[in-house]
Amino acid sequence: MNKLAAKYLRPSQIPTKACHGCGIGMIENWLLQAIDELGLKQEDVIFGTGIGCVGRQTFATWGGDNFGATHGRALAVATGLKLAQPDKKYLIVVGDGDAAAIGTSHLIHAARRNLGVVVICEDNMGYESTGGQFSPTTPAGYVTNSSPYGMVEPPFDPCDVVQAAGATFVAETTATQWHQTVKIVKKALQNDGFSFVHVRFPCNENFGAYALGTRDTGKNLEWIYEHTQGRKADGSATDFTWATGIKHDVSNSRPEFTKILRDMNARVRAKAEAR
Amino acid sequence: MATIARAAAKDGLIAPWVEWERRCTQGRRLLEAGTYALTEGAIAAGCRVFAGYPITPATDIAEYMSKRLPQVGGYYMQCEDELAGMHTCAGASLGGLKAMTATSGPGYTLMHDAYGWALTNEIPLVVVDAMRVGPISGITGAPGQGEFYVARYCTHGGNFETIVLSPSSVQEAFWLTIDAFNLSERFRTPVTILTDQVVSDMWEDLFVPDDYDALDFVVPRKHNLVAPFFPLGTADLDVPPNLVGQGTGVCVSAYTHTEEGYDIEEMEAQWAQTYRLVNKIRHHRAELARYETLGLEDAEVVAVAYGADARTVKTAVREARRRGLRAGFIRPITLWPFLDELFARDCHYVVCELNYDGQLVREVMRAAPDKGKVHFMGKSAELHTVAEVVAGLEGVARAGRIPELPYIWTEVR
Repeated sequence: MNKLAAKYLRPSQIPTKACHGCGIGMIENWLLQAIDELGLKQEDVIFGTGIGCVGRQTFATWGGDNFGATHGRALAVATGLKLAQPDKKYLIVVGDGDAAAIGTSHLIHAARRNLGVVVICEDNMGYESTGGQFSPTTPAGYVTNSSPYGMVEPPFDPCDVVQAAGATFVAETTATQWHQTVKIVKKALQNDGFSFVHVRFPCNENFGAYALGTRDTGKNLEWIYEHTQGRKADGSATDFTWATGIKHDVSNSRPEFTKILRDMNARVRAKAEAR
Repeated sequence: MATIARAAAKDGLIAPWVEWERRCTQGRRLLEAGTYALTEGAIAAGCRVFAGYPITPATDIAEYMSKRLPQVGGYYMQCEDELAGMHTCAGASLGGLKAMTATSGPGYTLMHDAYGWALTNEIPLVVVDAMRVGPISGITGAPGQGEFYVARYCTHGGNFETIVLSPSSVQEAFWLTIDAFNLSERFRTPVTILTDQVVSDMWEDLFVPDDYDALDFVVPRKHNLVAPFFPLGTADLDVPPNLVGQGTGVCVSAYTHTEEGYDIEEMEAQWAQTYRLVNKIRHHRAELARYETLGLEDAEVVAVAYGADARTVKTAVREARRRGLRAGFIRPITLWPFLDELFARDCHYVVCELNYDGQLVREVMRAAPDKGKVHFMGKSAELHTVAEVVAGLEGVARAGRIPELPYIWTEVR
């Protein structure tokens, strides 16, 4: 066990049941690095997840308090928790199904309200724990077990969605960008408002095997990296490019949602007492 | 507002608020709606979060809550849908605040996802379902009683019991809401208040105590700060709820869990969790019995009804007795767990409920000594009239069957 895992995680719950070569554990380690560099302790952070690869593999790994919501509802649970425990940091670690499909409305409205949580959307570009079906973030045309002739729907970029909805910190990164990801997560945790971090990572067993034709972790990571650069190793252009980095940062520019409610309560009570 | 003294408890009513009414002497007498009583009952019980989505006929609870909660340091959340509403309540309760949501049938259906999550994780909260006629949107402003079984099986997967209470007056809605919060704390489970469009919309005489802080019968929120977080394999009552946010290391999830809250996929763990979720309620059924009866000592035919419909049915029983019929009356207030013991008497039962398919009647058939003497008077969108019920009672007493009446269904298959 590395030092960060020993400091923050639950020995009985790691290693997780993730498949060989899965990026989830590596990304979690980077989250721990960001938490550690900010000097946060176990009791400072509530760790929330959903359902699917990301939920199942990260739930209860965090040494502090954990919740694993029903599919898509992690942000709805977090909204209630934030009302009751406003001073905590919330790390909501969910997959593309939770954030960009079944729970999109909660994502949009949490962003609109500027709820003080950090959403880490770990995106393996499909429903991999159910055997590899396409999701709203699967690139168009790619083959999955439910798009045998290629994904016919256009995907959407969840970063665009939350930014349009009012998120105060939005960033995109991948499992091939260690230092950038740590830097982004640190900034996200320092925003007293809604922060969204989109992290693409490879799935060897399903997306890799069916969409890319390989279960080789190195090749799958390389495919992601090439798409962040817009260029393949041989110098030719990729079929599309993912722009990574901080996409929108107006951190701490407008009040956090539960603070607005607390301030309203104070006004209501002051008015009542003045009467 | 005049401070008034309350009268003694009513005969035939078995409920904790009989004693509460006797003890609460200082208060205000109001003319108010059922939705107001449900709101004030929640505030009195210490509810500090309401999260929901407007829907007729429960919308007024949301509006009252949006005004009242900030006054007492609480939070009103108008969510994007009912899924968010009940999950937000569950989150708030996990964080240590008592929480409630309110809805009607279409929203109640959407809450079943969260209901299962809160139920499995033993999270106390209260859900009001103000029933209207269905299925689906049906008639928004007319009373129905279509969620009798839905409230029992309020989530998928089985392996659980539920607590469901139903008031029949504005005053009772107030006390019963406090009771619902108390039970949710003691049993660590969501409690459904299954009311209807008539009780929630009607305006009626309402006594409200002056000082909510002085209500010593309110069960305060306590916190469990050490493992085991889930006393699996036990039926213990009064286990303090878990608290997320204080670094206790508690884990709650959608999965079958261990005592620590870790997900586990073993048959023995499923057994232990089910033992807990089922038997914490089954083993304490006596704590949950709330009902009203009339004339059972000599009854040959007993009318059974709950909620608003019980009001005209009770009047009909009195009228039938005035006419010399040995009629009785049972109004279950606790709908689930079902009060089988109320139906021990070997006599005829006439079950009146606001649906045509027959729901409550099936449970009475199961509980009564002679299923052949259980009769059904189903109606929908309007309360039974006194005349209809008197005709039904007389028909059964004289001919052993309900006479043909317009808009009344008697068939149960």
